[in-house]
Amino acid sequence: MDDNLQQPNAEPKIRLGDEVDEEEQLSGDEDEGPDWTKLIPNAARPIIPKRGDKEFEPSKHGGSGLQQHILNRSRNAMFEALRATRTISNKSVSYGTWHPSLSRVSVTISRGSAMNSIGHAVPREIAMPNGIIKTQKRLELLPEEAIYLIERGSLICWKESTITEYPNDGTFEDVSGSPMTVQQAYTEMIGREDLTMDRYQVYTYLKRLGYTVTRSKPPSVFYPVAAPYPPSISTQLSSTSFMKRLASLFSSWISKLFSPIFSHVFDWWRPLKISPWLRREKNYNFIFRSLRLIPSGHKVPIYLPPDTNSPPSPYEPFFNLYKPPTPFKKSAPPPPDYQIVVVNARTTPMPSLRELTAIYDNAPELPPPQPRIRNPPQIQGLSYKKSSNATSENPSSNLSQPQTRTRNPDAPPEPDGKTSKSSSWTLAGSIPWSSWLSTKSSQPPNNKAERKPNPFAVLRQGKKTAIIATVDAGTINIFRFAQGAFETGPWF
Amino acid sequence: MKDRIPIRIANKRAYIWDVDDLMKIRSEHHMCGLLVGTLPHLSQQNVFLGIPSQLMPEEAALLVEKELAIFIDDTNAYPEPSLSQFKKWNDQQRQYIKHQQTILESDNIKPPEVAQRAMSEEAIRKRKERELKRQQKAQELKKLEEQARDASEQSVFVPAVDDAVSPSSRPDTPSISAPASYNISITAPSSSLDWYSPDSVSFSTIEAAKEAGIWDFPSDLHDRARYGVFKDLWEQGFFMGGGIRFGGDYLVYPGDPLRYHSHFCATVIESPTHAINPMEIVAHGRLGTATKKTHLFCGWHDQKKKVSYLSIEWAGFG
Repeated sequence: MDDNLQQPNAEPKIRLGDEVDEEEQLSGDEDEGPDWTKLIPNAARPIIPKRGDKEFEPSKHGGSGLQQHILNRSRNAMFEALRATRTISNKSVSYGTWHPSLSRVSVTISRGSAMNSIGHAVPREIAMPNGIIKTQKRLELLPEEAIYLIERGSLICWKESTITEYPNDGTFEDVSGSPMTVQQAYTEMIGREDLTMDRYQVYTYLKRLGYTVTRSKPPSVFYPVAAPYPPSISTQLSSTSFMKRLASLFSSWISKLFSPIFSHVFDWWRPLKISPWLRREKNYNFIFRSLRLIPSGHKVPIYLPPDTNSPPSPYEPFFNLYKPPTPFKKSAPPPPDYQIVVVNARTTPMPSLRELTAIYDNAPELPPPQPRIRNPPQIQGLSYKKSSNATSENPSSNLSQPQTRTRNPDAPPEPDGKTSKSSSWTLAGSIPWSSWLSTKSSQPPNNKAERKPNPFAVLRQGKKTAIIATVDAGTINIFRFAQGAFETGPWF
Repeated sequence: MKDRIPIRIANKRAYIWDVDDLMKIRSEHHMCGLLVGTLPHLSQQNVFLGIPSQLMPEEAALLVEKELAIFIDDTNAYPEPSLSQFKKWNDQQRQYIKHQQTILESDNIKPPEVAQRAMSEEAIRKRKERELKRQQKAQELKKLEEQARDASEQSVFVPAVDDAVSPSSRPDTPSISAPASYNISITAPSSSLDWYSPDSVSFSTIEAAKEAGIWDFPSDLHDRARYGVFKDLWEQGFFMGGGIRFGGDYLVYPGDPLRYHSHFCATVIESPTHAINPMEIVAHGRLGTATKKTHLFCGWHDQKKKVSYLSIEWAGFG
């Protein structure tokens, strides 16, 4: 072997530019740690730098001098950033009190937009200054919400004290107990109200990404429950066109009339019932359908063993997720964009079919992914995007139609399906699928957008989805399981 | 006992809350932990995370076994502060705020010519105009706020914010003595608190911590195998990280993961006679090659307390 290969590259490339070639991103995306040297801790407006380069291995005896130097620089930058103090202006800080007996933090002074999607109102008996006890609504935080706000530096939290009355000399606007550190909040609040460290980590991970996160199962009667999902598409959309319905009505009536002898009893040995007069009964689809003796598909209930005292499944949705643009009202949350299950990677086995089915049964049916829009050849210097915008200005076109057409043509089909889902929600409000339905039924049949979605893309996306976050000693991975409907595709 | 690193245990998880301890663990004991907290001033991203650092159970147990660290039952380390302790803490906070204000005031002293310009008539007129506009805006805002408050049907009891803060009550002429804005700091580690008392709830061995019911790793054969493999590789000088993203139990690094890529992705096998599915070998070999790593099967022999290693690589003939 070449000796040169064993030696690490003596001159490390420190790239500050914004070009990171694709191959590198693919190969080392997860493994490549963040480069702390590019994070400036005390800058007025910190910029998140690109990930740094790594080397293969240190040379003998713990690395060369240069390697040691670069490593120390990285470490120092990291520890410097970690040492940064948590400060907040006195004019934007909120105050709260931790009640260990209630497992809640009551907010005494609320400031900032962070509270817009956090916390819920609970009527509690509050002793007024004149001694009268009055029931009044107050803003309360669940443990995860409180820790998150404390950790962000938005909330000063006091621990309720029953023995000592702590004086307020005006340094703080509100003193209602002993001061809590972030560490104390972690120690005392995690483990309360079904909150585990794994769940808390998933909660903060999603909050840092900007999602609105609430509990799926209300921890108390005062906790607002998300609106239920609307009935699924398949039940609403029983048959597509009027003519088809009429035809099926007629044929069933005719077959009833002409074959009264064997139609009411299904004959296992003669599943095919072909009458000499009906043309419809002689095509492949009909014959294949008649030959399908065993019922298939997800509508068929799965077998449940009779044993009743099985432990409760860890695969139950714990958090409801709302994308940042989804209009969210704290007192009446809309149906969630996603529901997420949090499991411990070390102790929880793979979900069983029954557990997955239980999740699917409560999940909404996903609309089929939008067909990929290909760039047509450009004619006379007119770009596709322009022409599509022009057509979308047509007042007769449906509300959600311009959206489908003005979408970025390069976007991949799968995330497309997801975004279209959320956008239709925001548009139609309480009946999220209605806009999609109306486009389908009231579309003039001349359009390119009428093209049916690719059956394989539909199969890949699945009809229903289950999102599972696994946490292994702090590392979060989020997986998506999907229920593909093989029995409804055009191959049958 | 005194120079050992305190590992804070809460809900059977191990945390490091002091940056100095973290530095020590990383540079002297080549262990990393995993940062899980939110960085205070970069709180809307997931690339850089902050204190606390969560240790893998293997890391925490090994540090205690090697007598480098002690376990502290953090849930029972917070007695209620006495009045004098609270007052002392309050004074510290007050001093911190005062310190900021003195810095701010020393910045505010302007050179004489600037002060003169500030007193010219035009400047005064402009300032008045600006003030007027600001007041109007504040009033509009207040009106809007009231409307919004009326519109919302739920009346949540949140005491009104002090008048000193609301913009309308600001004195008409701008003066230096206006209520200054200052920063309040929220401390992360509890070790700075006077009343924090970890000494009575510290445990120097895993057994003692297990007896106290705050710790339970390693508890069964699987845990013992994991711990045995982790210890063996760590003793050879490797840095270890979690390998769940690469389909293994650990990632094995030749140096600090800050600077070096991992070479191996290790899977723990509970006994040397444990059967391996050939599909697993193919899957691990394939995945390892795709991520430029070698997959390592680590067989734990529970009676001999020994580990045997087997590495899988895609040969790539043809």
